[in-house]
Amino acid sequence: MTETFDPMPELAVPGGWVVALVAGLAFAALVAFEVHRGTRGWLLGLRIATAMAGWLLCVQPRWVVERIDEREGRVTVLVDGSRSMEVGDRAQTVRALLDRWEGDSDEATLQRFGSLLEPASWQDLDAAVRPRDDETRLAAALESLVEADVGERLGAVVVVSDGAESDEIDPAFVAAESLRGVRVHTVSVGADEQLRDDALVSLEGDRVGFLRRPAQVRVGLRVSGGGDRNIPVTLYEGNEVVAEQVAHVAEGETTTVVLPFVPRRLGRGVYRVAIPVEADDDVPANNERAFLIHVQRDKLRVLLVAGHPTWDVRFLRSFLERDPGIDLISFFILRTTSDLTMAPPDELALIPFPTDELFREHLGSFDVVVFQDFDYGPYQMASYLPRIRAYVERGGSFAMVGGEKSFASGGYADTPIADILPVDLPRIDDPQPGLDERLVTLGSYAPEVDAERIRHPLVALGADPTATASAWARLAPLEGANLVDGVRAGAQVLLSHPRARARRGGKLPLLVTGTFGQGRVLALTTDTSWRWGLPSGGVSGDATAHERFWDRSLRWLSRDPSLEPAHVTTDRERYGPEATVRVRAHLRDARYQPLSLRSVRLALLDAAGAETSGADVVLDAEGQAEVELLGPTAAGAYRAVALDLSPSAAQEQHIAEQWFVVESGGEELADPRARPDRLQAWSEATGGSSHRASDAPSLDSFDATRTEHLGTVSRAPFASPWMLPLVAAIFSLEWWVRRRAGAR
Amino acid sequence: MNLRFLLLALFVSAALSASVAHALGEPSRVEIRAVDVGQAEPRPTAPRRLAWEIRKRTSIETVLRPGRVRLADPRLFESPFLYWPGSEAFEPLSEAEIVGLRRFVEFGGFVLVDDNGPANGGFDRSLRRALTRAFPGQPLAPLPADHTVFRSFYLLDRPVGRVRGPTHLEGIERGGRLAVVYSRHDLGGAWARDNLGSWVHPVTPGGEAQREVAIRLGVNLVMYALCLDYKDDQVHAPFIMRRRGGGGP
Repeated sequence: MTETFDPMPELAVPGGWVVALVAGLAFAALVAFEVHRGTRGWLLGLRIATAMAGWLLCVQPRWVVERIDEREGRVTVLVDGSRSMEVGDRAQTVRALLDRWEGDSDEATLQRFGSLLEPASWQDLDAAVRPRDDETRLAAALESLVEADVGERLGAVVVVSDGAESDEIDPAFVAAESLRGVRVHTVSVGADEQLRDDALVSLEGDRVGFLRRPAQVRVGLRVSGGGDRNIPVTLYEGNEVVAEQVAHVAEGETTTVVLPFVPRRLGRGVYRVAIPVEADDDVPANNERAFLIHVQRDKLRVLLVAGHPTWDVRFLRSFLERDPGIDLISFFILRTTSDLTMAPPDELALIPFPTDELFREHLGSFDVVVFQDFDYGPYQMASYLPRIRAYVERGGSFAMVGGEKSFASGGYADTPIADILPVDLPRIDDPQPGLDERLVTLGSYAPEVDAERIRHPLVALGADPTATASAWARLAPLEGANLVDGVRAGAQVLLSHPRARARRGGKLPLLVTGTFGQGRVLALTTDTSWRWGLPSGGVSGDATAHERFWDRSLRWLSRDPSLEPAHVTTDRERYGPEATVRVRAHLRDARYQPLSLRSVRLALLDAAGAETSGADVVLDAEGQAEVELLGPTAAGAYRAVALDLSPSAAQEQHIAEQWFVVESGGEELADPRARPDRLQAWSEATGGSSHRASDAPSLDSFDATRTEHLGTVSRAPFASPWMLPLVAAIFSLEWWVRRRAGAR
Repeated sequence: MNLRFLLLALFVSAALSASVAHALGEPSRVEIRAVDVGQAEPRPTAPRRLAWEIRKRTSIETVLRPGRVRLADPRLFESPFLYWPGSEAFEPLSEAEIVGLRRFVEFGGFVLVDDNGPANGGFDRSLRRALTRAFPGQPLAPLPADHTVFRSFYLLDRPVGRVRGPTHLEGIERGGRLAVVYSRHDLGGAWARDNLGSWVHPVTPGGEAQREVAIRLGVNLVMYALCLDYKDDQVHAPFIMRRRGGGGP
């Protein structure tokens, strides 16, 4: 390192030179008028010397010197490896340039950059120039290069790039803060291209959406080359088109279109936006992009219809009302026509039962419909029952809670409601020989939890089966139950009556879950579940079992993902191409029993269902497994899935899945136009030169002199302790001479 | 014809052909269970008369022979409605009774306190002392005239009982619901009949019209205990507002 001084150093004088000059002249004039002509010259000189010494002592002027380090360094060639370099013949141009430079690369090292700085080799130029990064972070790469230059031997960096940076940081700022005098020469590629490109330049989707609530994605479009165009923009969920719009896009300008959509599934949802790929499109990779949205339920919309006010109704409604996550519409039949209100209608706070509004106009808006001890017959609702069945078949949820007006007692046998219930109903007017003719059973009892389904979330009151059994034993007994003939195929009995029998035999089911079409259904054949609250709490001090049961029941009915028996998760939601995807599976069967030691295949599937990678694993005792899979190469929407490989599975059974996105290109290819102006800015900010690839000089002709400004050195030459005696001596001499000359 | 009234007409006609009910037993029904604090019941027939009126007038199925329960009895929690009548001062409640009352309310129970002797003030003093011990920091507060208890079934303007009494009820709220209601109108005195069906006590000053309002208030209070703020639902509020003719708030 050499230290050089600025040829014009700054002498910092407090008060300024003008003030000093004026004071000196005034002092000299005073002397000149006072002394005889012969000694005037001596006295004038001494007095000026005294004044100057005193003034320098007082103001302490400083000598400021700037230190500059200039030395010859080596050259590093930094090649752009981002995906925008695949446009046109940019990569080939770079390869040809590197081939030309390879002969004079004895001292030059080769590196590549994209999102990170990576070493490259002159012996493998194909790998060095291959465009694969989804970002172009030149500033970060230069900073990394300088930081890694431990011996400070780097003199210059020759950047070979299209200049299409991901983030436009001010080169002057980076040069001053981080580059320590290293010159940046730039060689621009692609600057002379005539790009023809229809591009999705931006995609701003809602990151969080709400189930069945409108959401939207804003799509930015730009066309380069080919003039103004009308471009159809399509939004897909999987392979299904959910929105489409034609946008008029002017040449070189960005047009934004808004595509509305309505999420219909809870959890992670992946959508794709695509525009057609014309034959002459130079960058087809930026014609499709995927985005991910987390679909939540803003509120669970519940319709509760009760045949009459009961404690069971009251405690359920009280829970639903208090839960801020539930939007409840409830209707209670407060009187029947056989009741004598003893008051004219205008003295009653009663309204008619709005059956048409509820079951014709708004039925589809509810997530769960609950009939609680409600008989449909008196309210002319027969015509609405098929609608309820269709609602469940399409994915709605329905629960029937017992009581004297429920199930067979409510006249639901042989109705569309009987079709969707998970239990078979006896006919009220058609007793069958040999079967129990009663429709209800009376008396107190403690329900029995089905041993195989004790892990089911609706009945799992404890952390494990033992704790669950113990918790059930502490609950207050129930009273009475509706009789049913039996349980539908595929339904699950979670609770049973300890003594009463179903009319076709077997224990009388109390809590049964099932499915109908796309929907879920639940049957609770008692109207005393409220006794899991107050009566249980009064005895044990814990009254939460009732609310816990209904909370889980409603969440299970509405397909809350957290209550699903099988889960597949990925470690991230978004990946780059060929990334490592860590897939975890926790798999249980429909009874929530772990699929212990089951052989499954964990795989990644594209939107069309084709596997891109996968691995066969054996689950552990808890039904869990984890694998690392090679991520897909192409951008798009993908699923991590668990497939059942056990011999009992007739074919590869799809157990659970999770969507994720592979983002390739993305913002990198949103605007792939070459930016020679950016490269020139880097050169100018660092004292380098800028060139086009076609006229780039030989590698050894780049100036590799590193010029680093090391800061300034400030010195105070008159701060010596001898300055004061010196001033006193000069002043004494001047006084003595003056006295000798006869002056005062 | 307004669609709602057409529906109501359909609802009325259909209800006449309602199917025969097959009750799941007495435990499923609503019991007006009286509190026993060691004194004789001042209005012994009042709970069953109110139960009968409720069954007759509404769709609520009631227990027609309600019982009594002490506040320290574990059976207290078997029925969420307590009717606590009294006309005289009573001994301070035991700690077990205080805990029972507190836990009953905490877990969702509803208590209707009825001062059957508002003139002498003895019960009032004892009752307030007991409630202060059970619910410290939550004193009885007057209920506003537009509270849901005045429109849970009948539309009522003010509370009355055997006596006209104060213009308001008092109450204690727990968890956003009214858990304790205190009336100083001797509601039970207005409800009570003897075994021959005759009214036991005259109602002053409004006579039989006032008695009818007292019965309606009893119905409303039980309806509130079962439905809470059901009538405040957004679906119902505008309809009730129109019927009252008072417009929106």
